Amino acid sequence: MNLYQPHLVRIEEMIDETSDTRTLRLAFENPEIAQKFDFKAGQFGEYSVFGAGECTFCIASSPTRKGYIEASFKVVGKVTRAMRRLNVGDTMGFRGPYGNHFPLEEMKGKNIVFIAGGIGLAPVRCVIWNTLDLRDQFKDVTIIYGARSVADLVYKRELEEWAERSDVRLHSCVDPGGETPDWKGEVCFVPMLVEKVVPAPQDAFAVVCGPPIVIMLTLPLLEKMGFAPERIYTTLENRMKCGLGKCGRCNIGSVYVCKDGPVFTSAQLKMLPPEY
Amino acid sequence: MNKRRMLNEKNLDAFVQDLINAGTRVISPIRRKEQGRETATYAAVQNPEEILLAGPQPALPLKDVVFPPTETLFNWKQVKSSIRIKENPEGFKKTVVIGARPCDAAAMEIVDRVMGWDYRDELWFGRRQATTVLAVACSQCDDACFCTAVGLSPTNARGADCFLTPGEGGFEVETLTSKGEELLESHHGRFTQAKDPAKTQPAELENKVRANLSLQPEKIQQWLERHFDDPLWKQLALRCHGCGACAFICPTCHCFDIVDEPEGIDCGRRRRNWDACQPALFTMHGSGHNPRKDQTARFRQRIMHKFNIYPARFGEILCTGCGRCVRVCAAGMDLVSILGEISYMAEEAGSTS
Repeated sequence: MNLYQPHLVRIEEMIDETSDTRTLRLAFENPEIAQKFDFKAGQFGEYSVFGAGECTFCIASSPTRKGYIEASFKVVGKVTRAMRRLNVGDTMGFRGPYGNHFPLEEMKGKNIVFIAGGIGLAPVRCVIWNTLDLRDQFKDVTIIYGARSVADLVYKRELEEWAERSDVRLHSCVDPGGETPDWKGEVCFVPMLVEKVVPAPQDAFAVVCGPPIVIMLTLPLLEKMGFAPERIYTTLENRMKCGLGKCGRCNIGSVYVCKDGPVFTSAQLKMLPPEY
Repeated sequence: MNKRRMLNEKNLDAFVQDLINAGTRVISPIRRKEQGRETATYAAVQNPEEILLAGPQPALPLKDVVFPPTETLFNWKQVKSSIRIKENPEGFKKTVVIGARPCDAAAMEIVDRVMGWDYRDELWFGRRQATTVLAVACSQCDDACFCTAVGLSPTNARGADCFLTPGEGGFEVETLTSKGEELLESHHGRFTQAKDPAKTQPAELENKVRANLSLQPEKIQQWLERHFDDPLWKQLALRCHGCGACAFICPTCHCFDIVDEPEGIDCGRRRRNWDACQPALFTMHGSGHNPRKDQTARFRQRIMHKFNIYPARFGEILCTGCGRCVRVCAAGMDLVSILGEISYMAEEAGSTS
């Protein structure tokens, strides 16, 4: 078995998040691998549809939930279109887990602020559930999430669940023009919401993910508000093929996103050329 | 190691024939006539007489011997409700390269670093293991050659299992690895004892290459490290078409793509193909966002990867000075003069700081 051969996974469940975004719950076909498989929040994998190709996504489910992994994807290209055509019971390929992860151990006992835009909630959701499943080991948990429109908000059932929980503070927003008459959240862009509601930086970690524009605006903002650059985490997804530090396309300067990342601190990003 | 033997012209032919008869693939520079010009290309030898060990550098590097332009990673087939994956049964063909140029032999060892760090690419190393490299000292250079500027030379044996130095009526063969020794020992009848140590190669060729370009690689690296935003990049990249020919023809460029190739509704294969960092699609996200948004960024990446990133990461320059990118570029991008310019800027920066 060479490095590039995937494990077989079966689609157990699918949930349509938005009109073009879907979550697949995948279980390993080989019981031995299912038993052995483990990962850390923030790691990613190469998911494949046989005949269409491979695609890079984070593992969107939490490592505390055993027996399956989840991938959330938006239909943009050849592979995601093929993924969209699959049904429950169909077989896919999965290689991974690859890359580094969020420092959950360090984050224990601290306040955590999660910030995400659009489908960028997928990798953050993995850490959110990891944190919430070990809730008593963390202090305040704040989630700030926004999307272009109400229809573009992903994980809606979970947003509701987080909104109802007394041990989580959820702030959500949609871009101006994306609201509906019964939208109860804010109407603004994610960085503006962050500026408004982000808790004090003392004793806190921030985890940020979203489209490049959200990352580029939010990181400096958090620093301005007093978060230490070493405690602001984000996850990058440059285009990748191998995920193993060979194929040469995810490099940012001397960094391989697939091996040194995908999780980086704001402090680390400042050392890199702006090619992400 | 470092055992010396002699191999005369006649025995060379017989040695090659022995190998072919034993089913080994022999790769050598083969004489080709193209538009009246005599050129050489590395190819599988059918007849020992085609081999051209002296003469011009082969037009394409040896890369495809260990890293084919396209290869099957595995085959898949839908079986009932699941998929069956079958690894490519071809295996790795036992190969002997005779007459590798020093720049091509060294390239394989340099690329070993990235193929072996952390995750080991068995496809690369499988072929490396199955391949024995007999390099030959260069006998000809042109004004695109600059191996001496990146720490090699026309007589450098890096990456070779054996090294052939032309002498009277044949070659002196120096053995450098146990793999090389094993090969020669199993054909000992074809080799004779070396008498005197080979006469030192005339330095003439080396001096010629040296005259093309001389560099201090550490200084180049330092300059690159500090000049990501230098106006030089835009100026140099203006003529680049982004075709990627420089990468495809480079013995050290190793970027690849992984794609699926359906062969019917219920079966197909996944392939690995060469890829290049110069075309825009290389890094473009599905959303249309491109981290390397223009040719300046992509051209800079190529130079950075070779002379700053790879040295920082793996302690090696990702270039052997073979000069092929210079010869092949349709737009006349010339790495010799580009490096010369960067070297000049690095000197300037050094003298003013």
